[in-house]
Amino acid sequence: MSSEVNLSIELCGIKFANPFILSAGPPTDDVKMVKRAFEADWAGAILKTTSVENQVVELVYPMMAGLDFEDKKLIGLGNIDLISEHHIDEVEGRVAELKKEFPDRVVGTSIMGAKKEDWQTIVRRLEAAGVDLIECSFSCPQGSLGEKPGAMVAQDPKLTKTIVGWVKGAAKRAPVFIKITPQVADIVEIGQAVKEGGADGITASNTIPSLMGINLDTFEPYPTVDGKSSYSGLSGVAIKPITLRVIAELAKNVGIPISGTGGATTWQDVVEFMLVGAGNVQFCTAVMRNGYRIIDDLKDGLTNYLDDKGMSSPSELIGRTLPKLTVHDELSREYKVVAEVNRKTCVKDDLCYITCRDAGHEAIELDEERLPVIDEEKCVGCGLCVAICPVWDCVKLKKVEKKEKK
Amino acid sequence: MAERQKPPTLSLEKRVKSFEEVKGTYPPHQAIAEAARCLFCHDAPCNKECPAGIDIVKFIRRIKTKDFRSAIRTVRESNVLAGVCARICPTEKLCEKPCSATELVKPINIAALQRFVTDLEMREGIKLPKKAAPTGKKVAVIGSGPASLAAAAELAKAGHGVTIFEVKSLPGGVLTYGIPSYRLPKDVVMAEIDFIKQLGVEIRTDTPLDEKLNIGALFGQGFDAIFIGAGVGRPYFVRMPGEDLNGVYSALEFLSQVNLYQSEEKKEFPLRVGKRALVIGGGNVAMDAACSLLRLGAEKVHIVCLESFEEMPAFPSEIEFAKEEGVEFHPRSKPLKILGDSNGMVSGFEGIGIRWKEPGNFSPSNAIPIEGTEFSLEVETVIEAIGQGSDPSLAPILSGVKTTERGLILVDEEIHMTSREGVFAGGDIVNGGDTVARAIGEGKKAAEGISNYLKSSIKGES
Repeated sequence: MSSEVNLSIELCGIKFANPFILSAGPPTDDVKMVKRAFEADWAGAILKTTSVENQVVELVYPMMAGLDFEDKKLIGLGNIDLISEHHIDEVEGRVAELKKEFPDRVVGTSIMGAKKEDWQTIVRRLEAAGVDLIECSFSCPQGSLGEKPGAMVAQDPKLTKTIVGWVKGAAKRAPVFIKITPQVADIVEIGQAVKEGGADGITASNTIPSLMGINLDTFEPYPTVDGKSSYSGLSGVAIKPITLRVIAELAKNVGIPISGTGGATTWQDVVEFMLVGAGNVQFCTAVMRNGYRIIDDLKDGLTNYLDDKGMSSPSELIGRTLPKLTVHDELSREYKVVAEVNRKTCVKDDLCYITCRDAGHEAIELDEERLPVIDEEKCVGCGLCVAICPVWDCVKLKKVEKKEKK
Repeated sequence: MAERQKPPTLSLEKRVKSFEEVKGTYPPHQAIAEAARCLFCHDAPCNKECPAGIDIVKFIRRIKTKDFRSAIRTVRESNVLAGVCARICPTEKLCEKPCSATELVKPINIAALQRFVTDLEMREGIKLPKKAAPTGKKVAVIGSGPASLAAAAELAKAGHGVTIFEVKSLPGGVLTYGIPSYRLPKDVVMAEIDFIKQLGVEIRTDTPLDEKLNIGALFGQGFDAIFIGAGVGRPYFVRMPGEDLNGVYSALEFLSQVNLYQSEEKKEFPLRVGKRALVIGGGNVAMDAACSLLRLGAEKVHIVCLESFEEMPAFPSEIEFAKEEGVEFHPRSKPLKILGDSNGMVSGFEGIGIRWKEPGNFSPSNAIPIEGTEFSLEVETVIEAIGQGSDPSLAPILSGVKTTERGLILVDEEIHMTSREGVFAGGDIVNGGDTVARAIGEGKKAAEGISNYLKSSIKGES
């Protein structure tokens, strides 16, 4: 029974009531709101990125633009937000207040600095305030690194290692996580730099630099601020596959605790993030879309799933898929599948026929009843028809004996 | 926004020939598509309309996130008759009415989603919820219709010993003997009653209460509280010439036979169903009788009722259903007499068009016949479905319980206690006849009232 499942987990010595935490962003930028989130049973929150007083934060509005597809709203969300307008003076008070009121919730803070002294000052003050975890934002796409607009710390392995060293030099108690960007040529190189710098974990990964769209009448890009825009950080469902890949690469090749974030929306996403190596999962866009209340769906869904699987803790999931990930060269060339159509459930939309004819191998014909017939000689089993068929349980791949090539 | 998903449904040709359930269940992809249409309003208006108190928006969210187990639990914890309600609840008048998606396309098909959830559950067997520790208190429940079943289940969950006294040979009341199986298959009813039995409720069928076994006697037997959910079992008749002819039945008797006939296959139907038949009345029971007549072989079925289509008490979907099946309506008409042949068999009917003396009052005494609108119908069967009242045989059982002139029981609206201490009531015997969902809501409310009453009496003893 589900009573045996315990959702609590531990990551870098910190105990979380469940694997679901709020990532640094709009849902964690107000202390009253975070309290409501804790009351709803979120296990922790990373307060929105703070900095020192001399860094003036001036936001622009509007800062959000949605990515829609056909009738689906917000499959992605782009923002040109910056770090919090609340500086460390205010945030340290919030940390203390939250810890006092919610001692069993994990209070983390995302931080950012311009120079060594800033980074270290913030860390010391937060630790004094009782912070449980420090997350360094090395990856806000709207920020700038030195003179290069849009450049991020986490795109430079050397700089990454140096700054991690500064932060770890100041942090005496709280584990330090580095939030990185997927926007690099080699994520493993950055992961290794983070590890070598001495960080305790990686938060993988941040939003992805994007251009959300353009108004076809005015030619103005979105989100439009007085006629202009800049590149947005893309989040939400659309980036989930990228996040999964980033977590998997880091887990396989770096070996460091990972807090997964970027596109997780449902409990199924959480399972997937953990299967490729995440120790917990952070949420932002899903909450921006449906509110703190999604925690109920996440908790119930994960509990029932684990119970069905005969597992008692989400930590049993961590990394289970990693051995099943390999390089392309090593995938079996002996494995042969072909498509198979369920003639009973087929609704005759011809979509498999069209895609195979124009983008596959011309392996599907329509019979006199307009039902698709697979030519198993021509079908290579690419899987496109399976991906396209709108009917559940209609087109499938079946394993067949591989024939010797003549 | 995507279109409202239509569940699989029997074709018209197929459905009028059998008592097979007309509506089917969503396959999973349809359920998820329908759930995904839900806007998940913060102040979900659907939730407020459910008489059984189901957290609708929550179970829809669980379907959307493919967490069917939680969806099942959410529905089941509020409604022990959730499978029944998914089929017969007038959701268009309740939870779906204020749905925010109505403005975009159409309301979410909440009934079909609940049906999906409960059908999934029944395939695996209904899981028993946690029960409170036994309190040592005993409650007698009179009648086994929806109000009684809901009350009994809640009382059992609260740890009380519950015994149902049912006069008929099968439990379920209107669910078993009233609603025909093409709308409500009996295996669904029996599965949910079995579940209630598994909660620890004892059901004594064929056990009529009378002057010897009345309320006082039950208290004497050690019951600490009594719930009366006896329903309204006495049919009203128009009181017109010809009602004593062979072929005139009350809908109550007719539908009861329809349901028994369904449960014992191959038996000959005991009542006279002619090629042409008439149902008098404009409520859901009339629609059920008319559509059952078609399924029993009647070729032409008429409905005569005082109300216009807009005024009929039947749910719009039920009226539509009967129209689709070819039932011919004679609205705003008053029955005058039933005609018979020399053998005392029904052979025809005479009626007349009416207008209302006072608008908004749909009682027969307010109907003024319009001269020159007389009409006659050739029919061999007449079924009267003009309502039911409290059974006068209940009176000797109800000593000390105040009732209305019509024999309905008066209760405190909050806790559902009657004028006699420790005696509670709910369902049709209190409200005069309403939806199954309302009866369930009242049964639940009364169960809470009883639990609180028993708690205070436990305190009083210590």
